[in-house]
Amino acid sequence: MIETGTCTGDSISFDNIWTPTFSDIFSNILDWRYDWSMNQAQGNAAYQVLLDTYSKLPNEYILLVQGSMIHSDSGHYDHVAYEQGKLITGIDLVRRIGLKAKYVVAIGSCATFGGPVSGYPNPTRSTGVQDVLPERRVINVSGCPAHPDWIMGTLLHLALYGEPELEKYGRPKMFYGETIHNRCPRRYYYDQGIFATDIGQKECLYRVGCKGPVTYADCPIRRWNDRLNWPIGCNTPCIGCTEPGYPDLMSPFTVHSPDIPLPGGTKIATDSVALGVLGFTSAAIIGHVAASLYKGRIQRNLLKSTVRGKHRLSLIKVKTFHIYRVKKNAKKE
Amino acid sequence: MKKKKELRKTIFKELQRGNVEGEIILFQPLWVRIFHWGFALSLTGILLSGLELHKPAKFFAVSYGDMFKIHVISSWFALGFVALRCTDAILRRDQSLIPKLRDIKLFPKLLAYYLFLRSAPPPNRKYNIGQRLVYSSWLLLFLIASLLGLSSYWQGEHLIWLWRLVGGFQRLRWIKFMITIYFLATIPLHIYLSMTENLSHLQAMVSGYERKPPPEKS
Repeated sequence: MIETGTCTGDSISFDNIWTPTFSDIFSNILDWRYDWSMNQAQGNAAYQVLLDTYSKLPNEYILLVQGSMIHSDSGHYDHVAYEQGKLITGIDLVRRIGLKAKYVVAIGSCATFGGPVSGYPNPTRSTGVQDVLPERRVINVSGCPAHPDWIMGTLLHLALYGEPELEKYGRPKMFYGETIHNRCPRRYYYDQGIFATDIGQKECLYRVGCKGPVTYADCPIRRWNDRLNWPIGCNTPCIGCTEPGYPDLMSPFTVHSPDIPLPGGTKIATDSVALGVLGFTSAAIIGHVAASLYKGRIQRNLLKSTVRGKHRLSLIKVKTFHIYRVKKNAKKE
Repeated sequence: MKKKKELRKTIFKELQRGNVEGEIILFQPLWVRIFHWGFALSLTGILLSGLELHKPAKFFAVSYGDMFKIHVISSWFALGFVALRCTDAILRRDQSLIPKLRDIKLFPKLLAYYLFLRSAPPPNRKYNIGQRLVYSSWLLLFLIASLLGLSSYWQGEHLIWLWRLVGGFQRLRWIKFMITIYFLATIPLHIYLSMTENLSHLQAMVSGYERKPPPEKS
């Protein structure tokens, strides 16, 4: 595993795997070669393991990448190795190792789509792994962090059955095939129009910004921390961490639409823009009505566009009905 | 009953005799009128249900399954009406909704008229350039929104290229919302101008006919 622009959150998430246990994976299931967080060796000794795998086992190893690809200053914001007196950048190492790997798996939001590191204004010009390996198909296991089952499930599928069926963004369909909204245990509340008005309530959290309807993941059935709970189970809305564009397109987390970035680094809420446009239109129409009335344009247009007949219609009187009734004040008269 | 019918016939005869100045002409053919009112109704359904789906109103407890059905059914109806209008335009070779370059040159003059800098609008054909721009933008944006809507309806199973092009579900939803705001901003403008600029055009959208005024005597 190569770690580039990352918080190592996916490694920590992976530590929490249960059945198989973490020790099982390392000792019995996989030949885990190189991982900053798990290495016992350090420096050149550790790095040599990676280089040996690269040179001795071409097209036999799986490259896992955690963290975004940092492009600013030709990648020199992110040094990941020291080789023959030179600092090696993350994009160079991922590209070199990735081209000879049997499979390339990007883990976490940062490695898949850029993630929080690529958030606005993205000073490091970060992207996902696919951008530095355009000639290869990268298997994306997104999430912030990725669920340990998603990581391990993908690796086991690769080892046992080959490449899993992927969905539109290169993610395994078995984990990312359905929206959270469609499997949500609170879907009943949504369908009935019963919504939480604040975070912390037990109803559907759609109105407080839940991104479940636009997020593909199996969190509702898999849940987290050994299937103990998940965000919506804790009465907080889904923040859409598995989707491309996270976090910019998903923030603020408590409203539906993302804020619109303006030049100068500020952001404006979509709903405010909408209300502004509608307010401006209403004010313009009211102002125009007043001005048109004052100038007499409306009156003139109405007279011009309607027509007065040359002569009144001559109706033939067919029958006349006379209705007689007693006047109430007949006596007075 | 017979007498009533006779009376009605007499009124029609009077009308046919030419009780108005100028000429009565067919301004809006039947299919255009069907499209206009059908599209207006279904678009209202789309916009209102879409806004409710986007941000549920606190005062309005409603079944969201039903709201979604209203949204989808209205969309299919609206698409049907648009298809009807397009077919009608092709068969009649009607280009009245397409903005032409020479008309665009008149746009500043039209704007000056609306801003009270001119006393009369520039000469125009059936629709002025402002109408043409707004109507054609509605058609274009409605088709884009429909395509995005279908893409979200199929949940990334079909139209995957579109999903990738816009950059995901959330951005797709955002674009649809902004298109809704555009419609909500321009529809009141359309209603306001149609009621205050030329009432006979509005009448023609119901009856089909309008009076063509006689040439002014010099």
